[in-house]
Formats: sequence, C-alpha cells, structure tokens
Amino acid sequence: MMFVRTLVLCTKSYNEMTVLTPRVEEIVLESGVQEGMVTVLTRHTTTGVTVNEALECLESDIQTALALFAPEERSYCHARMLRDYGSTAGNPTGHLKAMLTGNHCHFLIHGGVLERGGAQDVYFCEFDGPARREILVIVEGG
Amino acid sequence: MTIDIHVHPAFYEPINADAAREELRHCELDIHRNGLAPLEHVFNQMRCASLDRLCLLAQDYSSAMGVPLVSNEEVAQLVSFAPERFWGLASVDPHDGDAPDRLEDAFTRLGLKGLNLHPGRSRFDPADPALEPLWAVCERYDRPVLFHAGLSWEKDTLAEYGHPLRFEALAQKHPRLRICLGHFGWPWIRETAMLLLKYPNVYADTAALYFDNAREFYTQCFTRDIPLTWIDRSLRHQVMFGSDNPRFEQIRMAEALGTLGLRDSTLELIRGENALVFLGEGGGA
Repeated sequence: MMFVRTLVLCTKSYNEMTVLTPRVEEIVLESGVQEGMVTVLTRHTTTGVTVNEALECLESDIQTALALFAPEERSYCHARMLRDYGSTAGNPTGHLKAMLTGNHCHFLIHGGVLERGGAQDVYFCEFDGPARREILVIVEGG
Repeated sequence: MTIDIHVHPAFYEPINADAAREELRHCELDIHRNGLAPLEHVFNQMRCASLDRLCLLAQDYSSAMGVPLVSNEEVAQLVSFAPERFWGLASVDPHDGDAPDRLEDAFTRLGLKGLNLHPGRSRFDPADPALEPLWAVCERYDRPVLFHAGLSWEKDTLAEYGHPLRFEALAQKHPRLRICLGHFGWPWIRETAMLLLKYPNVYADTAALYFDNAREFYTQCFTRDIPLTWIDRSLRHQVMFGSDNPRFEQIRMAEALGTLGLRDSTLELIRGENALVFLGEGGGA
C-alpha cells in the first residue's frame, strides 16, 4: 500500500532549518504500515531535505558551510528575468544549496515505527524564504 | 517608518477564491508559477525586508478587459485585514466616463490614498485634457497619482506611453498634484532624473529589476546610468522605495538599496519619509 500526506510550511526566514521528525512519525503511525519505507520529499527546487543531528550549533555550521559553497555576493548566471515566470530570478544560491542537501530522504519502518539512529533527525531546509512550502511524506509497505 | 510604495496584491490569497480570476491575473500580468500568497507569508516577507507598510495597488483596465484586474473594493478589503500594515491606492479606467465619480468614491467611501494608472496598458496620454476631471478629484482630496512609467512586462503594453517626457506637461500644469513615475521610468533613468530635478511635485520609485540581481541592477541604474550623487544631493526628497512585488524581489531590493553608498539620512527618506509626504500622511520635509 501507499499512504501519502502533504506537510505545508510557511517559512519565516531566508534560510532556515525545520525538524520534521515528529510529524513524519505521526504520519507513519497514521498510515498503519508495520513493515516498509517512508520517503520525505520536498516539492521545491530551492529547498532541501536532509538528515542530521538536531543541534543548534550544527544548524549554524551547516548554514555557514552551504554559504561558503554558494555565497550571496557571487555573480550567478541565473540572476536574470525569466520569461516563463515573468519575474526576475534572485535565488541561484537556493538552487545550489538544494543541490547539496538533496530533495528527499528515506527511512525504514519496522514494527510500525521509524528505524532511525539515535542522532538522526529529518530536516526541511529553506534556502529562499520566506515562502509557502509543501513536503510529501510517502509511506509504502504493509 | 519603512514603506514599499509599489506592491501588486493580485495574488494575495484572500482575493483569489475564484480560480478563474486568479488565472486571468496570471495571464494579464504575465506572472506565472508564483502561487498564492497567504497574508502570513506577506507579513513574513515584510519582516525580512524590514518593511512596516505596503502600498497595495488596484489595477483597472476594464474598458479592455470588462472587469478590473484588481478592484478598489478588493484592495480596500485587504487593507481592512491589516490596516496597520497596508495602505491602498485606487485605480480607475481613464476611458470610463464615470471614472472621476468612481475615484471620488474610492477616496471617500473606501479610504484609498491615491490613484494608480498605467498609460501603456490603457493607451492614454497623461496630458490629454479629457483627463482633467480625474486630476481635479486628486487635487480636491490631496491624493497623489502613481503612474507606471518605462518598460512594462504586462500583456498588451507599449513602452512609448511610459516615456518620462509624456508626464512633463501634466507635472507643469498641475504643480499641486504629486505624481510618481513608477520603476524610475526604466530604461529612461536620466530622463526621469531630469523631471525630478525640475518639478518638485514629481517623484520616482525604485521598482525595477529587469536584469541581473538586485545589487547589480541598482548599482547599474543608480551609480552608472546616473551618478549616485544626483540622488544623494539633489533628488533625495523625491525617490521612494518600491519593489513591484511579486514581479520583482522585495527583500533583495530592500537590502540592495542599502549597499549603494547613500547617506543614512537619504536612505531614511527613500525608505519611508518621502512616501509619507507623497501620500499626504504628514511625513517630514
């Protein structure tokens, strides 16, 4: 079976990290799946989903490391008027940071609960906020 | 107080319950893939851009479209949801014989604070004597006019109607009427500066971002197309921050303005004090 829920977030900052683990665990519980997999997948190209230890210090270090890779002041080809949007693209750093984090993660479901390491949490990463964002939580199994 | 004088609320969630109306706005404004903005998102965006107030613009080309794209009533409704954060400007179709009455109604009944017009879309000359009754209403209620000037990305628009020289006769004939050339009249930045220099009743907003990123484009417009000193020394009381959001990037434009090297006191004027004077809200000199 496949059980899908959409999480909606209204992010508040340009860059921010939000722990999704409790909401993912609730959805797994709601699905009733005992043995299977869960995928957490962002629907956007300037956001990411990653797994890491939920510590304030690490969130800061991760943001710093990503900013070193894609600094705001660099010149980017993506900074231009986009005909398909009718607006100017100002978010090249968001696209590049999203490339590094990836757009999804998977976890095993065993005995109806998420099998995750003691330090593992699911993060939603905003790289072009504030914005209204949607994240799919897809539970597969039986 | 910090103000964005040039915001289009066409995709604000509370006025888009009708999907057909939302689609019409995407089509007519040629803005796509942006989704709807809940007010919570708008407020988050304001906080990130350090903005206290947004000036929301109605848009009325109803002689061509049949209905206003964003009506005065819709703008007034949005203002009522957050009167401490929003002000509204009315719009009427200049070709509508009832336009002066409808404008007066927008000022008196709906509490809107000025008039927004797009000559390039409605195909009119601001110096046309037929428009005198509209200017009379604005002068009677001491309300300003914000014109789209320069290039317009909207459907069925012609830039020639937005050339700054088109506004000189109006500025000269009506020295008590405050008018703003939106988008700084881009690409005619020098011509816009010329009008501001000669006519103290003419203002311009910074709502342009047609190439590159906000810092690069503002640097080009305000340090190369014209030297920064022209604004910082001579035009500092007539330039207002505007973003044209959602077409352009409100947060990054607000940030970019602060990187140009303007005096702090000039930045305060551009970021809000000039808009208060323009709107007749009792700002400083």
